[in-house]
Amino acid sequence: MELKYYIIRRLLVLIPTLLGLLLLTFILLDALPKSFLIEQFVNHKLPIPAQNLEKQQAITTLGLNLSPPEQFLIYVNNLIHGNWGFMYPNSEGYGSYYSGPVLAGIMEYFPVTLEIAIFAVIFSIVIAIPLGTYIGSKPNSVSDQVGRVFSLSGYAMPTFFLALVLQIAINPYFPSFISGQGYPSYTHLSWIKSISGTEVSTPTHMLVFDSLLHGDFSLAAVAFGHLVLPVLALSYGFLAGLLRFIRAGMVDASNQEYVKTARAKGVPEKQVLRKHVRKNALLPSITVFGLVFSGLLGGAVVIEEVYDLNGLGRFGLSTVSGGYIQFFGILGTTLFFGIVLVMANLIVDVLYALMDPRIRY
Amino acid sequence: MITQEEIKTEQGKVPYIEVKNLVTRFFTSKGIVKALENVSFKIYPGEVYGLVGESGCGKSVTSTSIMDLIPDPPGRILDGEIFIDNFNILSDLKSLAKIKVRSETDVKIKRNKSAIKRHNFILSKIRGNKISMIFQEPFLALNPTISIGKQISEVILLHNIIGMADSIIKRETMKTTDVDELLEQLAEINDYSMRKKIINQWTRNFGIPDLEASITSLLDHVTDQKYVAEQIAHMIEENQREINIDRIKEIRDYYTIERKIFELTLNQIQFERTGEIKKAQEAKAKIRAYKAMSKKKYFKLRLEMRFFSKRVLAIFHKEARRRVLELLTLVNLAGPEVVIDEYPHELSGGMQQRAMIAMALASNPKMLIADEPTTALDVTTQAQILELIGELNKVMGMSVLFITHDLAVIAEMCNKVGVMYAGNIVEETTTEEIFNDPKHPYTVGLMNSLPRADKKREKELKFETIPGNVPNLITPPPGCRFHPRCKFAMDICSLKKPKLTEVSENHKVACFLYSNESEDDVA
Repeated sequence: MELKYYIIRRLLVLIPTLLGLLLLTFILLDALPKSFLIEQFVNHKLPIPAQNLEKQQAITTLGLNLSPPEQFLIYVNNLIHGNWGFMYPNSEGYGSYYSGPVLAGIMEYFPVTLEIAIFAVIFSIVIAIPLGTYIGSKPNSVSDQVGRVFSLSGYAMPTFFLALVLQIAINPYFPSFISGQGYPSYTHLSWIKSISGTEVSTPTHMLVFDSLLHGDFSLAAVAFGHLVLPVLALSYGFLAGLLRFIRAGMVDASNQEYVKTARAKGVPEKQVLRKHVRKNALLPSITVFGLVFSGLLGGAVVIEEVYDLNGLGRFGLSTVSGGYIQFFGILGTTLFFGIVLVMANLIVDVLYALMDPRIRY
Repeated sequence: MITQEEIKTEQGKVPYIEVKNLVTRFFTSKGIVKALENVSFKIYPGEVYGLVGESGCGKSVTSTSIMDLIPDPPGRILDGEIFIDNFNILSDLKSLAKIKVRSETDVKIKRNKSAIKRHNFILSKIRGNKISMIFQEPFLALNPTISIGKQISEVILLHNIIGMADSIIKRETMKTTDVDELLEQLAEINDYSMRKKIINQWTRNFGIPDLEASITSLLDHVTDQKYVAEQIAHMIEENQREINIDRIKEIRDYYTIERKIFELTLNQIQFERTGEIKKAQEAKAKIRAYKAMSKKKYFKLRLEMRFFSKRVLAIFHKEARRRVLELLTLVNLAGPEVVIDEYPHELSGGMQQRAMIAMALASNPKMLIADEPTTALDVTTQAQILELIGELNKVMGMSVLFITHDLAVIAEMCNKVGVMYAGNIVEETTTEEIFNDPKHPYTVGLMNSLPRADKKREKELKFETIPGNVPNLITPPPGCRFHPRCKFAMDICSLKKPKLTEVSENHKVACFLYSNESEDDVA
């Protein structure tokens, strides 16, 4: 019961947080020079007076003649109504960048990022918890030193480097892992298209989960194979961070008095570790989880570029690298990443409250 | 207080705990800390033994050594014997690790992992079961993330599954003849307290202690035997739940085999110590056979216990919860139904210490080690906790090893006192003797540094202090460790270590002032 109220309160606190986030992105937008934006509305083939007229029109349509508070309210209003702006086609016409409404673009590109992020988080946790428990229970042993080297190199290695190394090292042996080649496209799948040819069934927009939902296991396996390398590259840093914190937590918790009590009660050594030490050791790691998660999203930008995945990181990159500076694209991506982070931290807070009875509400 | 008569009968008794020549060391980077040097004492059933001394004199190390909870690294018990209920828990001490001392700061310890594993297995069955411990700071000693009830029931689930299974089976398969038996038994007895005892035992036997009150009142108020029998049978029927008895029997059998393996391991260790290698090997073969049998026969159960232990043992968890409620009532915790689901941080210091005591009592151990249980509490709570421990000692006949630096607490609680100084017991006698006739200069100093309200001291309202500090135990003074601070120090004191010798009946002192040893013995 109490936990329910805690969650409700956390959700209420979310409103000012999100408003702050909106304000911040708005100020960022306001700080940018507007001429770039206005130029996009101008046909440069027209004579100068006509161009000036178009500029004036653009300023009024964009609301740039209004005061900043008014602009902010309009901005919020538009966001709530799903109008996150528009990304204009590339004037030079090169590359295959997204053009269209920003929100639709984010919705199209985000599932790919989410998919790798989910697998990266699962993989890191599955590896880091048992490994951290083992290492932390024997501080300064050989395995601890090996673990230390492993996690420090994870910290130190830039993501793009690891991504490239994996690509080069694994390419000759496991061609099916390579992204970009033979990646099954959504459009050819019979269960996605109805007879009339319209798209009907992609509930998650993530190929692995969609195909699993439809029982198409061979496709799921293929899709997953293509995710292996990006997930490995992305999760290494994350894993390394978690491992260090779990190890530190284990060492700290096993010196606590209650562990001695547990032994004095006659709890077998294994159970002492599992039940009394580890639970307390994981608590600080949960908080860290929220922090390291941002690194995961940042890493996605690089990983997606290296592995040719159309994810949100790439989407964000395209907003600045496509010849134009896509104002609304930058804004939308920033805002969206911000929302994801805030949500991740909310989940972390609730998890922490679930695990630690001392956090009450 | 133990009277003269009781002391005489003590000669024939077997001590519950006997510590012989215990040597504990800590290997630190600064040198070897000689924390305990040949500490020996005995604690008889029902006795409250007090260990008193300055901080850093080795009281707590003694208590943790008895439980073999010395953190390793840096500490190790090097030598000695600790008999708990006639089993020497240090019998396999020599096989645990090989220690090479090259110099004070260069010590190589080679641990034998399999021997340590076996050692820990045995100790995990002894700790909490035959002997339990409460600590100085209850707030630190309770796990902050587990509820009080679960922390206590953990002990019960660790040590009492077989007993619980028996009582569940008895309750579920109960017949009306069992009720008749009780009534028959009671018919012959008129003494109220005796009747109460019988009812208590009977309900406990059948695992229905919560029905005790209603059965007693029923028996007191209604004389119609037939009606009573019917009512009791009805009550029990209501209490019976639909339980898969075969399952419980299976679990009981599984745990019985586990216990057998434990007993065989004890045998094996004892044979190894006495050098009967053939018998030890026989025991080892038997253990192996039992383990294989258990693995084969209870494969499914083991698998389920590994992954769904909560579901498999659900009925035992429920049963244990009942017992926890009983325990919390026993230690006078207000509102046990609420406290059982609370977390340590929601309780006050005194309540936490009561919960710790409840935990220590959970599997009916015959011995409690109380390591300064009242130091972190305020004065009124201190008195309550001391009273509680005293009561437990009297009512349940539990022996207590009471560790404190507070002589007033010793006077109130203990039958026998050991005074510790720098890792040695320097004086050991009854509580009366230690206050009336302290012999060792250190004990005398301790007594004199106490504020006293009697006439003698009224005139000279000055506390005497013992000059100097507790010695550094890395480089303890040679000979008697107290001699640099001692008023009566003689030449022999710095040369030779005094032995703990009996100067009068039940009074042992380690001091050359009271011994006949002369300097000639030194050479």
